[in-house]
Amino acid sequence: MNGKVLGFFAVIVLVVGGILAIRAISQPDAEQTSAGDALPPPSANELRLVFTYGSEKESWLKESTAAFNRQGVKQDGRPVVVEAIPMGSGECIDELLDGRRQAHLVSPASAAFIRIGNAKARAANGRDLIPTAENLVLSPVVIAMWQPMAEALGWGSKPVGWSDILALASDQRGWAAHGQPQWGRFSFGHTHPEYSNSGLISVFAEVYAGAGKVAGLTIADLAEPKVGSFVHDIERAVVHYGSSTGFFAKKLSAGGPSYLSAAVLYENNVIEDRLARAGKPSPFPPLVAIYPKEGTFWSDHPAGIVDRDWVTPAHRAAARTYLDFLLARPQQESALRFGFRPAAVDIPLGAPLDIAHGIDPQEPKTTLEVPTVEVMDGIIRLWRTHKKRSNVVLVVDVSGSMNDEDKIIHAREGAAKLVGMLGDEDRYSLLTFNNQSTWALRPTAMDATSRPRAIAQVQGLFAGGGTALYDAVGEACTALMDNPEPERISAVVVLSDGADTDSKIDLDALLAKIRGTSERPSPRVFTIGYGKGAKADVLKTIAEATQGKFYVGTQRDIIAVFKDISTFF
Amino acid sequence: MSDGPQATALGKIVIALFVLGCAAGAWYFLAGPGAASSNPSAIGGSTTTRDPAKQIAVTIAFGTEKKQWMEWAVTEFAKTAAGRDVAVTLLPLGSLEGAQAILRNDKPIHAWAPASSTFTGTFVADWQVKFGGDPIGKSENLALTPMVYVWWKERHQAFITKYQTASIQTIATALQEKTGWNGIANKPEWGLFKFGHTHPNQSNSGLMALIIMACEYHDKAAGLSMADILDPKFQAWFGTTESAVTGMVNSTGTMMKEMVLKGPSAYDAVLVYESVAIDFLKAAAGRWGDLQLVYPQRNLWNDNPFYVLNASWVSPAQRQATEAFLAFLMEEPAQRQALTHGFRPGNPNVPVLFPESPFQLYQRNGLRNDISAVLETPKPDVISNLLQSWQRSQGNR
Repeated sequence: MNGKVLGFFAVIVLVVGGILAIRAISQPDAEQTSAGDALPPPSANELRLVFTYGSEKESWLKESTAAFNRQGVKQDGRPVVVEAIPMGSGECIDELLDGRRQAHLVSPASAAFIRIGNAKARAANGRDLIPTAENLVLSPVVIAMWQPMAEALGWGSKPVGWSDILALASDQRGWAAHGQPQWGRFSFGHTHPEYSNSGLISVFAEVYAGAGKVAGLTIADLAEPKVGSFVHDIERAVVHYGSSTGFFAKKLSAGGPSYLSAAVLYENNVIEDRLARAGKPSPFPPLVAIYPKEGTFWSDHPAGIVDRDWVTPAHRAAARTYLDFLLARPQQESALRFGFRPAAVDIPLGAPLDIAHGIDPQEPKTTLEVPTVEVMDGIIRLWRTHKKRSNVVLVVDVSGSMNDEDKIIHAREGAAKLVGMLGDEDRYSLLTFNNQSTWALRPTAMDATSRPRAIAQVQGLFAGGGTALYDAVGEACTALMDNPEPERISAVVVLSDGADTDSKIDLDALLAKIRGTSERPSPRVFTIGYGKGAKADVLKTIAEATQGKFYVGTQRDIIAVFKDISTFF
Repeated sequence: MSDGPQATALGKIVIALFVLGCAAGAWYFLAGPGAASSNPSAIGGSTTTRDPAKQIAVTIAFGTEKKQWMEWAVTEFAKTAAGRDVAVTLLPLGSLEGAQAILRNDKPIHAWAPASSTFTGTFVADWQVKFGGDPIGKSENLALTPMVYVWWKERHQAFITKYQTASIQTIATALQEKTGWNGIANKPEWGLFKFGHTHPNQSNSGLMALIIMACEYHDKAAGLSMADILDPKFQAWFGTTESAVTGMVNSTGTMMKEMVLKGPSAYDAVLVYESVAIDFLKAAAGRWGDLQLVYPQRNLWNDNPFYVLNASWVSPAQRQATEAFLAFLMEEPAQRQALTHGFRPGNPNVPVLFPESPFQLYQRNGLRNDISAVLETPKPDVISNLLQSWQRSQGNR
């Protein structure tokens, strides 16, 4: 072979190789664009399926969706990519109803949300939002409790349920009534019923138990004084609400019995806790699942294709393919690994769905009937009447840097959102800080007169000066700790965009000040690191020291951040 | 041409491998797994290449209790000489829904395969009013299945300890027990007694349940009359009992699946087709435990008729294609396949009992080959009034 031919050959190979290299580099790597991560915008030919779902099943769906996207499925010649976005079950439906997001597929944690969504959609335009749905995986709602505490209530030797929780919540002696004074008062948690399925189910179950029924709940039942008292007395033991069952589960596992005695979670959360601690020493005892003797609900994760104009026949066909994939044996078997009961009936239950992981596969023995939409609305109104009230201090950074990039403008709107979401009997105060702190509003009930003024006040904030973050947080916490109100959820919400420059105390001193004890409990501090200059590590430390939560906030999403914080109270 | 540098043998191999590698890469990116077509349609399609221009398209409305069997049949039929040029589309519809869809004719349907011939009389009468003539061309009974109560074994044992028998009368009594299982068997943790059947307006098995109830109440094997339905005592008992019954979904398979997924917390017992129960026996054992099948004292056969429609929108070619599909369904291979889905073959030459037959394997669950007494199907106007009585008493369901 002579040089010219060799050279010609080399050019061909280089050209071909170059083309292939360019295609390889430009093709998205499906491994990196798995569900739950932000996907790049759809390419011109791509058929993007937006799937919003209750975050309880995030771990399973993230893995399964990544596997689906790797398959390179096509519909009518167009590559199908599923963008799966976890959120609260209520949020999935609300976004569709108000058009904030045009999802093609949706899967809240239970059929209750689909019923509510369909009822609202029919009332608005005569058409169901999600006409049909099928179960993806199942997990019953349980009361997750530390094993020694559950045993103190009789778990393992007799049925335990809401009446036991009520008795404990109402007893001033707390755990001392069961011979365990060292455990203190009974503390409890469930998510916000308007945003999260497990919270909604908790309140349904409390009402059923209060009414002494398992089915046929009526509006008349809700008016019975004994039902209201039942709900009222249990809710007194709640430490906070929140929009995410997953967050509660993580906090419970990380915080131990001193954080919460029990929380309403899903069976799969108990299994997750066991799997996470397998083979590792832990300072805390294991969690067990109490299946309330009065009855519970199944979270059966229905998934349905949305019936709206933005869902084309191609979307429907692709969605069907994706659903069939999730329901296929390999994905259903992997659901077991995540602690879910598969919707595919021919897969028998086995480890980790067993006694060794704190659950009972032969439970639940009794389920409660999903109430009618009218009764569900009534239950939520009843809960609002009896929910634990809150005492919230909003601490807002008004240092000079908040003028940059319109941060102060968006922060005002977010803060107004928080004030707007508080209940009429919740107390709210405002502490602003730059190089010094100023109480703009002392604790005030957010009734019809005060709320508009409080909103106008935050909307009138302006920025300038330095940043005395630690002093402000310390002052807000001290105000609540010096005036404890165990009947209220005490919380501090802190928004800051930068490092502390002017405080008299340092971070260590602040943490020592705000860490609570059983005699002097601390409020929960929710911190928002706002913008690029915010010190995330500092704010996260402050939140974790008080069993609160840290958020990263930007001008674009600050309203959503404040909204999520509001769900805690 | 001058001699340039010579490639060695090894060099030639390297170049060849490099070119092959590039060619393989080109194939992968241009025509590999990522470029594969999406899956073929689950119903009515096959993966063999057929000429769309020659296809005769037919649509068959069918009851969902036969879904798995029919889907298998469509795939296999397409591989035969008779089926190669036929494109069968299956339209799953409840029996009442199917009749209404055919009469509306908003989507041409060429054959109808409901769960039973119970609705046929009404359908033919309505057809004659709208279109005149007889809508049914060729017809055969594809497969047979009686009704059966399906219990969780543990719950059944506790029930008959108290009531001695599990009949509609004792079930009705248990449904009214205000303390539920606490009163029945001293088991408060079992909650209320829960019995389900499908929605009688949307699902044939639900209607079968009502007929069995009415006949048992009046202790009649035949001749259920209008007077029986309108009897005030029956009306009162019927309304009270049905108010406590749950289920009320539009598909027997869906209700049975719910029972197996959610266990005794969803239903203690349901009344369904035997074929549906058979489909779920094994799965139930892997979830909650054994199921117990109990046959009504007087039963009803669901005869799964297949009607080739005699309608103006059915062309001679479509009629011929549909009749060919029917013939395929009645042949031994398809009939044996029906057995694996729990159906008793409509073809009398196909045996029910053989070693691997579900009728052999599940005898320990109460599955029986012989069905003692069979009810006479009531007249269409009696059935219609029974349904209306149900609607009046259960209006908002």
